[in-house]
Amino acid sequence: QGQPQQQQQNVPPQAPVTAPVAPELGLVDLGVRATSTTGDKARYERYSDLKDGAVSQILFGKKTETFSFAARAYNVGYRDQSYVADYNSGRIKVIGLFDSTPLNYFYQAATPWVQAGTSPTATFTLDPSARLAVQSKTPGIVGIPTSAAQLNTPSIYRGLATQFEMQQLRTVGGGGLTYNATPDMNIHLTFASTKKSGTMPWAGAFAFNNANELPLPLDNRSNDVSVGAEWATQKGMVRVGWTGSWFDNKIHDLVWDNPIRATDFSNGLAITNPPCQSGVAMGPYDCSGYSNGNGPAQGRMSMPPDSSMNVVSATGLYKMPAHTSVNATLSFSSMKQNDALIPWTINPVIASPTVYSVFHDLAHLERNTAKAEVRGVNALVNFNSRPNRWVSLNMRYRYNNHDNRTPAFEAVEYVRFDAVPEETGGETEAFDITRKTLDVNATFNIAPYTALRLGYGNDSFDRTGRSFSDMTDDIFRVSIDTMRSQYVTLRGIYTHTIRKGSGFSEDTIVHGGGQPNLRFYDEADSKRNRGTVLVILTPMSGVDLTTSFAKGEDVYNGEGHEFGLLSNDNSSINVGLNIAPKETVAFGVNFGRDKFQSMQKSRNANPLPDVQFNDPARDWTLDNDETVNSFDIYLDLSRAIKNTDISLNYDFSDSDNAFIHGGSRISSLIAAGTFLALPDVTNKWRRVSADVKYFFQPKVGIGLGWWYEKLDVSDFNTIDLTPGTPRIDYLGEISTGYGNRPYKGNTGFVRLLYRF
Amino acid sequence: GTAHPTAARPQAAKAGAPQQSVAANYVGEETCLTCHEGQAYKGTAHALKSNAKTPAAMHGCESCHGGGKDHVEGGGDKAKIVNPKTLDASAASDTCTSCHNRSAHALWDGSQHDQRKVGCLSCHSVHSSKGEKQLNATNEAQICASCHKNITNKQHRFNHMPVREDKLQCSSCHNVHGSTNVKLLKAGTTVDESCTSCHQEKRGPYLWEHAPVADSCTTCHDPHGSNNDRMLVAKQPYLCQRCHVTSRHPPTVYEGFVLKNSTNANKIFGKACVSCHQQIHGSNAPSGKAFLR
Repeated sequence: QGQPQQQQQNVPPQAPVTAPVAPELGLVDLGVRATSTTGDKARYERYSDLKDGAVSQILFGKKTETFSFAARAYNVGYRDQSYVADYNSGRIKVIGLFDSTPLNYFYQAATPWVQAGTSPTATFTLDPSARLAVQSKTPGIVGIPTSAAQLNTPSIYRGLATQFEMQQLRTVGGGGLTYNATPDMNIHLTFASTKKSGTMPWAGAFAFNNANELPLPLDNRSNDVSVGAEWATQKGMVRVGWTGSWFDNKIHDLVWDNPIRATDFSNGLAITNPPCQSGVAMGPYDCSGYSNGNGPAQGRMSMPPDSSMNVVSATGLYKMPAHTSVNATLSFSSMKQNDALIPWTINPVIASPTVYSVFHDLAHLERNTAKAEVRGVNALVNFNSRPNRWVSLNMRYRYNNHDNRTPAFEAVEYVRFDAVPEETGGETEAFDITRKTLDVNATFNIAPYTALRLGYGNDSFDRTGRSFSDMTDDIFRVSIDTMRSQYVTLRGIYTHTIRKGSGFSEDTIVHGGGQPNLRFYDEADSKRNRGTVLVILTPMSGVDLTTSFAKGEDVYNGEGHEFGLLSNDNSSINVGLNIAPKETVAFGVNFGRDKFQSMQKSRNANPLPDVQFNDPARDWTLDNDETVNSFDIYLDLSRAIKNTDISLNYDFSDSDNAFIHGGSRISSLIAAGTFLALPDVTNKWRRVSADVKYFFQPKVGIGLGWWYEKLDVSDFNTIDLTPGTPRIDYLGEISTGYGNRPYKGNTGFVRLLYRF
Repeated sequence: GTAHPTAARPQAAKAGAPQQSVAANYVGEETCLTCHEGQAYKGTAHALKSNAKTPAAMHGCESCHGGGKDHVEGGGDKAKIVNPKTLDASAASDTCTSCHNRSAHALWDGSQHDQRKVGCLSCHSVHSSKGEKQLNATNEAQICASCHKNITNKQHRFNHMPVREDKLQCSSCHNVHGSTNVKLLKAGTTVDESCTSCHQEKRGPYLWEHAPVADSCTTCHDPHGSNNDRMLVAKQPYLCQRCHVTSRHPPTVYEGFVLKNSTNANKIFGKACVSCHQQIHGSNAPSGKAFLR
């Protein structure tokens, strides 16, 4: 009839992956696989387990008019195994699952620290004689390199380090139940229990020149439950529900040895009052310990605390005549955390009556537990109407309140790096946020299958603890969507947002040591423009050509905004072609290019009264430009060749990220011969996957698969002794060696397939 | 003109109601299948007769297409039957939401996709789906990529969520049918609440909080993928330096000379700023002011 049909894209098949979603129910896919890798094998495996051995995919299901049942198992016995089963009788729907997902950081990680305890305190020790040798400045011994010259001498810890595989595992077990008590009434219950174990890179520093990385053990569990009841008819719906979540961390705190101190620094001198007066000798601690490394023998830090969250909510929907409806939601939430607080410091030189005589507040904690609580209120009202064929209206109001009720904790006196007591702290701040959003859109059906939408939004934020107490976004948008012709689909949207802050407090910035003309980009006055155009051409059935272009820019132009992020622009273009000449053949190719450009400005200065603080000659800028290319191509032959399914995919992505410094400060550094431009950070990733299945019997076949993945990466943040050989001792740090390194991986599969 | 599906739509049958009780202009599914055999929905969730809300338990094909008597008597006249594929997206979606009006679909009306004329049939197919949930493709990412390719491309970036490994999918975080949160996020009522529904260890609330963290995780992270470590929107230390224009070490120029010659190199390589400020998401230590403990 010439009428357009709603767009249904030819979409490319995805590369074979570890746990594909398959509608096919009745398949046993068993076989073996072998993997060979060069380079960073953990990065190749990242969220999967590809070690040599068996590979499995078992899908079983049955559907009748009275019930459906499905059970699936993937990668049985491996770290990325997954099991799902569901049953639906029409009256009762039940689902159960177990899923395991690894996160592989680095298989060549190394650390000189030895884990001596886990729960509730994770304790890491270092060889005492090595620490003493470093502390004593024994000739020829390097603990943490502090100069380019020392980089030529291996740290004593390099020889003490043992290699280990740094990886974590997330396992989830859960289920859900939906009971249709009546055709109009449902009751829902869901449960999930998530456990995290393994290790992850974690920093533990003692001073500016003594930053370290440890393999933090993980042992925590989250239990999440939700219960709800829902009543729905043709006219409307009402739902009430409760959600509860509890996070339990078996590891309460971390204690670790200092690689450059075997004993807590103490010079034996008496403390003065006030402490740390210029030119006056005092002790027992070193007032510059946070900088020169004269600190404690051990550090102690808190770990993510146990917490809970409870939410009760109610949702309603009411449908009125003339395609008019209103829906609304109201929810109340409470998040609590009341873990025991660790002491101000583990350093006995500071945790002593001598120091307490000057730092009175350090003698005790204002309270022994966190008593942290946030309450939330969220309300949403949506009014929608299509009174006639030409126009539709949508009005949406959203209220969200994040009310942090944690009592302030007095910490004007605190201990920096377990090394130095100071009076430069303050009270903890409870950040409250109230957000009110009004969004109004009118859509005009200016032609058949063509909609022009005009919209306005007002998004206001009232907050505490920020430099702008209030912030308002005025959002103007226009969009057009047309599927008028069966050959062309066009979607376009343009949004202009004006952000304006009020209640600006320069004190908030200056109190934190910031430049008065600094503005934070997440709240600064700005203008934002965003536009997207999507065109889909469908010259004939089974062929579509898709082009999309998006551009966005943020310009921070508020009064007094001199420092911080000044602009942030991006653009994206994608062109894709999909061809499916017949049901059994699909081919497609897509190319995309994204560009990001940002400009930020800063001032490298000492604090007042040093004149540097107000000296424009200390200003510098950074122009950060990144270009990312994406390319993918696929061919899917499903029985185009007799009894054979073939799937071929190639995916590619690369990035070039440039860091271009400028400004007066840079000029002076160049003149002094102390500036070296950073090289671009680049990477190039590609993946080839091929999967061939041949059924020599109607139900029995063999499958051959091959994955190839290669990453080239060059990143100045990764330090190697020689390419690919991690260095754990570098300037100012003993690390685990975790970083960004290239890899090349091949995994081959041979499987026997049985369909039933 | 084309009949409107909601005008033709039958009232939902009560559980167990016999098919014979339908209005007079219904011809029954068997009649439809005499010509439209390939359009059956057997094997899909719609065919579950034991669920009183499914087409199979109501009026079969005519549950969605309206009564077929005129169409049959008209010799298959296409103008005398409702074909949702030829309707305006909103009108076609009305057909679906007459039953799918609860749970994940309750807030469809006026949602972002509804406003942009992306209808149910843009992503789903009742008769010829390729994937679960009656999707037109074998997985969600393919569907979403048809409009959001610049987003789905990010799963191929250096740092990504386990989407390309099929451990997560778009709907793990988003409810494309409408939500109470921003950006069609499924869980919670803020971006942070959505993220911490999985990353509970970062939920807090903490004794010491970092203001932008309390506002939104996306101030610093791009959850769809990034070429920066930990899916940061920019590389450290430069991301941190976008806000920390203070004195002393935060606004130091961290460049190649420092990287090769100074202990300040530890603010450029590895975890950079987080080499010391590990507790950047919040600290529960009394001495946690600068997120060092």
